[in-house]
Amino acid sequence: MAIRHGFMPGCSLPSYSPENIEKTIAYLRGVYPELSVVQKCCGKPTKSLGQVDLLQERFGSLIADIKDCKVDEMLVACQNCYNMLRESDAFTTISLWERMPQIGLPQEVRGKATNSDVVFSIHDSCPVRDNHAIHDGIRWIMQELGYKTAEPERTRDKARCCGFGGMIVPVNPELAKKVMGRRVQEMPTQHVVVYCAACRSSMLMGGAKAWHILDLIWGPVVSQSSQPPENVLASPVKAWVNRYKSKGVIARSIK
Amino acid sequence: MAVQFAEKVYSLAKEIAEDCQGLEAPFCVAECPMHTDALGYIRHIREGKLEEAVRSIREKLFLPGTLGRICAHPCEKACRRETEFKQPLAIAALKRYAADKADREELWDVSVGADTGKRVAVVGSGPAGAQAAIDLRKAGHKVTIYDRLPVRGGMLRVGIPAYRLPHKVLDFEYSYLDRLGISFQLGVEVGKSVTLDTLRAQYDAVILAHGAHLGIVPPVNGGGSGGVTNAVEFLREIAFTEKCAVMGTNVLVIGGGDVAMDCARSALRAGAEKARIVCLENECALPASRHEQEAAIAEGVQFDYGWCVEEIVRENGRPVSVRLKDCLSLWDETGKFNPVLGSETSMATCDTIIYAIGQRVDDISRGQLPQKAGGRYVVDPDTLATDLGGVFVAGDAAGSTIAVEAMALGRKAALSADRYLRGQSLTEGRNFKLERSYKTEYDVPVPEGTEDLARHHSELVDAAVRRTNFLECDRGFDENAANKEASRCLECECKECMQECLMLNEFTACPGELFSIFLAKEQVDAIVPYSCNLCNQCTLVCPKEFKLADAFMSMRKDFVRANKGKSPLKGHGAIDIHQKLSFSRVFTIKRKGRE
Repeated sequence: MAIRHGFMPGCSLPSYSPENIEKTIAYLRGVYPELSVVQKCCGKPTKSLGQVDLLQERFGSLIADIKDCKVDEMLVACQNCYNMLRESDAFTTISLWERMPQIGLPQEVRGKATNSDVVFSIHDSCPVRDNHAIHDGIRWIMQELGYKTAEPERTRDKARCCGFGGMIVPVNPELAKKVMGRRVQEMPTQHVVVYCAACRSSMLMGGAKAWHILDLIWGPVVSQSSQPPENVLASPVKAWVNRYKSKGVIARSIK
Repeated sequence: MAVQFAEKVYSLAKEIAEDCQGLEAPFCVAECPMHTDALGYIRHIREGKLEEAVRSIREKLFLPGTLGRICAHPCEKACRRETEFKQPLAIAALKRYAADKADREELWDVSVGADTGKRVAVVGSGPAGAQAAIDLRKAGHKVTIYDRLPVRGGMLRVGIPAYRLPHKVLDFEYSYLDRLGISFQLGVEVGKSVTLDTLRAQYDAVILAHGAHLGIVPPVNGGGSGGVTNAVEFLREIAFTEKCAVMGTNVLVIGGGDVAMDCARSALRAGAEKARIVCLENECALPASRHEQEAAIAEGVQFDYGWCVEEIVRENGRPVSVRLKDCLSLWDETGKFNPVLGSETSMATCDTIIYAIGQRVDDISRGQLPQKAGGRYVVDPDTLATDLGGVFVAGDAAGSTIAVEAMALGRKAALSADRYLRGQSLTEGRNFKLERSYKTEYDVPVPEGTEDLARHHSELVDAAVRRTNFLECDRGFDENAANKEASRCLECECKECMQECLMLNEFTACPGELFSIFLAKEQVDAIVPYSCNLCNQCTLVCPKEFKLADAFMSMRKDFVRANKGKSPLKGHGAIDIHQKLSFSRVFTIKRKGRE
């Protein structure tokens, strides 16, 4: 029987950009016509707080949703989801960034940024320090798009946290701000590409110009004069409106 | 909120508290018997904070200028630049630099504890006696130091020539004892004019720190009458008069240690035309420090390596030469000193012979205290207590061989005496390892790319000039050399995670400290585990790969368990709402693709 695929955008990405959700689903459906999509949290924040019982309940409900969709292989766009879902053996989990080099980018986006005057510093997500295929995938995507990139000293398997981790922002915001500022400080260029919407928010808070890699794939070509999209996640109202919109996008995309 | 932590938290905490290297002493500090914070004061010197450097040194040593000149600096042998590159930091010279530039009485801590009503006699004003007196005085006891000599400092004053340690440096640093209110009975010889029993009757405790002032002269054919002396007596006379009455013009010194170098170099300064050192050891095995040997050679001292004096030849009662026999080996198979002589002989002319082959401890107890090799009193090695109640031994009389070690024994004896005077156990709760030189557990590899940088040397006065007088011959570091030398320090302390993690810096000096305190209190402020990014960056750099995030995560679970399933921190209310919504029907959707 053919493998059934699923896509899970996570929390921060749908709160950040319904447009990116819509375009990514369309792209994946071009490759996997039977694609299922699940929008729900993986429970990582609950886990980080130490709420063991609540996590079990919440994570269980997510796994049930994925099973309902009869998914064999789940594609995830969030690195925390990636680690969380790999705990389940009901299906396999793979990162979108690892899969993209395997299925290729659409012809129309390849080489689109060859003439861009921007050099992007790459900020890797610290929860996947050990996953070289994800690091390689991100660099492959940047190269396919035509962007030039630079690496900070602590990168890939040594990547530093953006400052968002561990749910410290609401209880020790000053410290979080310091961690964010320091991570931005070590970026060799002003422009930073990330592959986690929460990391993007941190990079902006730390003073960098930051784009999500999906912004670069689906959005306009970035040049020195471009301004990064606003820090939507800093505004709870906008973030929840977007999350709701993303839900609508999913409903419309898969009927 | 009192939290009951799970066993997992305690086991992780124990592992970290026990094995974290964050509080392990650097090699130099562990090796120093007094554990002077060399890393710390060298850092101050590098930063130009010389007063801070002096304060730091003075926390452990009351004579930084003296030890900066004459300490045998075991710290330098332990220095990582020595073990890695054979070019140790010039730690002693840096100490002298700080003392010369910045030490002044205003920086001295002259506070003493409340009067205990107890009186202590210390016999001997050398480094061991002085240190014991200082510590006991600071503990609130009244202290009197007895010394048979009219001057203070023991061997520092009468054993080390002034060209290495000017008297004014020593006298200035000894004035600290006056500031503390320590009394002196100089020119009083305990064991002769006053007996130990008298002292025991008059004082509540007695510290014997009278050193090893009996020069050893072996029985040798022809050794019988004039023209032969020993290093202790020779150097003492030199210290008082810069002369030696029995000395002729052609001096032969027997011995291969620093004391032999002192004798030969002093003899030249006191007017000898020739000074020659005869020693059993071959050139590369000479026990003397390299720089002392080189300075002696530069001043014209001649060396006969690998010879043993077999007979002193006399004419008209005066020595005219010695007959030497070659020495084939010094140590036997069991590692015992047991020289084997060959058949080759040689003659060396001389009119004066100085034996510099060691010194013994006199017995001032009139047989009450048993002695062992070298006359050292038999003591409890941990407490320095003797079989006589209230009598403790320190310094060379208890087995030390260098000044800084003598001081450590002085401190140890004082600690014991203080406990004795207070009626406390001499041993309970004491960490004897920290009272002596020890090997640190620190073992972080040398950082990649560490360069072998050359050691800086201070300038010496020109040999032709310095051999004519007893003025100090080492000029010490200038600012430029001191700064450069200080910047060679490899700062052997494990701060890997502290350099990486901003959060740890908000709460502690190192994880070892943080988790030790946790273990002691069995509690931790919730903000500590909840400030961790759980990013594992610390684990990446930790030489032990400690998983601090796991420990903090486990603590969080226990906080939640103790708080009805919720984080104890108010700010996390936002996360609760976020999570509720993220799982709510309003914001979630599952869309199954076509079959």
